[in-house]
Amino acid sequence: MSPLGAIPYNTLVVAVGVAAVGFAAGVIGSLGLLRKRALAGDAAAHATLVGVAAAFLATGRRDLPVLLVGALVAAVVSLGVLVLIRRWTRTRDDAATAIVLGVSFGLGITLISGITARGIPGGGGLEQFLLGHTAALTAADAVLLAAVSVVAVVALVVGFKEAVLVAFDPAFAAATGWPVAVIDYLLVALVAVMVVVGLPAAGAVLVTALVVIPPAAARQWTDRIGTMVPLAGVIGLVSAVAGVVASAGFPRLPTGPMIVLVAAALFGLSVLAAVVRDRLAARRPIA
Amino acid sequence: MIIANGWLSEQAVMHAWAMATAAVVSAGCGLVGTLLVVRRMSLLGDAISHAVLPGIVVAVLAGGRLGGPIVLAGATVTALFTVWLTRSLAGRRGVAEDAASGIVFTTLFAVGVVLVSALASRVDLDASCVLHGILELVPFDTVPLAGFEIPRAFLTGAIVLAALLAMAVLTWKEQLFAAFDTDAARAAGMPVGLATTGLLAATALATVASFEAVGAILVVAMLVVPAATAELLVHRLHSMALVAVLVAVVASCIGYLAAWHFNTSAAGMIAVVLGLGYLAAALSAPDGVVARLAARGRLAWRVTCEDCLAALWRGEEAGAAAALPPAVFPRALGQHAALLWLRASGRITTASDGGWRLSTRGRAEAETVVRSHRLWEAWLGRHAELPLDHLHPPAEWIEHHLGAAVRERLEAEVGVAASDPHGRTIPPERK
Repeated sequence: MSPLGAIPYNTLVVAVGVAAVGFAAGVIGSLGLLRKRALAGDAAAHATLVGVAAAFLATGRRDLPVLLVGALVAAVVSLGVLVLIRRWTRTRDDAATAIVLGVSFGLGITLISGITARGIPGGGGLEQFLLGHTAALTAADAVLLAAVSVVAVVALVVGFKEAVLVAFDPAFAAATGWPVAVIDYLLVALVAVMVVVGLPAAGAVLVTALVVIPPAAARQWTDRIGTMVPLAGVIGLVSAVAGVVASAGFPRLPTGPMIVLVAAALFGLSVLAAVVRDRLAARRPIA
Repeated sequence: MIIANGWLSEQAVMHAWAMATAAVVSAGCGLVGTLLVVRRMSLLGDAISHAVLPGIVVAVLAGGRLGGPIVLAGATVTALFTVWLTRSLAGRRGVAEDAASGIVFTTLFAVGVVLVSALASRVDLDASCVLHGILELVPFDTVPLAGFEIPRAFLTGAIVLAALLAMAVLTWKEQLFAAFDTDAARAAGMPVGLATTGLLAATALATVASFEAVGAILVVAMLVVPAATAELLVHRLHSMALVAVLVAVVASCIGYLAAWHFNTSAAGMIAVVLGLGYLAAALSAPDGVVARLAARGRLAWRVTCEDCLAALWRGEEAGAAAALPPAVFPRALGQHAALLWLRASGRITTASDGGWRLSTRGRAEAETVVRSHRLWEAWLGRHAELPLDHLHPPAEWIEHHLGAAVRERLEAEVGVAASDPHGRTIPPERK
């Protein structure tokens, strides 16, 4: 029994872990949004499925850390393939993203269906990575997710000044001698890490929403980055916890869509509030 | 099944129907995808394929059947709503178009999944159908037509394909104009907005016709990959559309058979085969990876050979034993191979002391290179205010690329029989 009485200890730890993931995704997504790379992680997110299936096939075990390492490798490979397509073919960026996303998701589905059809023990649960399923997480898994999230947030705090500089004025950053390309790669790598730790909760198809919707909602309330980043974290945290609670109440519902719906509702409220505020400000006479 | 013709087993007929269904829906996707790719709207195709889900679910709840007219209409309306919502969010307080699209399609997809999961008992859909289709089950849902039992999904796919073909043929000129120069098309008084809306509606139709076969997400592979593959191979829009349709159909058949063989998801395997096709095209296209690497290799080889000849020529000029510039691995290896080739082709010979000597032919070629080099240095020395030791590197680079006509003009500028800035004579042009 947990200190909160009725809630089982495991559920509580999982909620805390997923809350940390939601917070970190909101924080890191803020910089991605400001850099106009909101969908940078979407192709990588769909590709994680290949990594999950391949890691399971290679080790024969369904331990979360193993699967997530596989997912991270697949995410990085997919980003590398994007760079190669850009470098070596005439295909434009939008089509390249769609190709990597569609083909890697197809490969993931092929592997998972093949595993399921062959009845490999433990393979049945892999489908849960498509749409997220927090009920299957153990306390140890949740601690791992929270730890990686904390590390990701610390990494962003350490490089915050540089990340903000590149996000707001890449030309100025380059002119003053900052390695803009390296900082961009690190930012995309952080987004990829968040996509991977968000995977068990939100699933490959919807995890992008974790790094896009909370920052966009936070942006409606403020023009200051010092306010926006923590606010995005809080919105991500609230969405994640509400999603976990909702799917604990309705076990048949996958977690990912519930988290996304809560975040989308908060985004809708934020846009409404911004519209109302702008209208009021427009009425006020200029002093 | 009534179609059993005596020579095809019933199972084979089932597989043939499923394969034919995949082929017709992917042909439609390939056609629409061609326009999406050239108009840089691939990610809109991605967004629409996710976002039509709630439209499909609501239409099914309202009594429509998958592939029926109600569902087609519901999905098309949802697609247009998605684009409208994305456009109205984009530009609002730091929300760029891609972020707006990301918010809208994930939210609508989430709504669709929750509806499917919550109402599973009332809707003839489940989450796995949403994610990767049920191509394998398509042949079991049939409608009678002219004495045959035709799978419903095949019929829908064929009707949608016919409609898309008709739309393409009737509006090809407008779509072409809008795709390649939107501003000029608008200035010429063309209804560009209408053409775009038509394309979006066509995307929704192609998506929803494919939904049963491949699910909501793998549609994006069918929309974009065949067109992107075709774009690597051909240059004209109508050939691109033809190649895209062909690629889509062939990949669907191969993917289906491979999935049958490996006992896995047909839709996933079709996407994988499409990806392999794109890879093959990227490697082997006329300006593909292999061609580019080969061109680079040929150039590097020519430069190495010419550098060797020029080095031997300079050695002769200095009266010293011909010496090659020192090089480290792997350049030394390339140099060694180049010398062997130059000897085999009669441009150099091995002397009795073991050193290399230029043959008459080799000397002529070497002189052309050195002449290009020194003419360039002389011209640079006269026209660019560069210190003496900065003249060599650009000349070392360009000596391999100057033709006889350019050398003649350079000579006219610097004066016949002039020497280069280092005081060495410029060899005359060899006829």
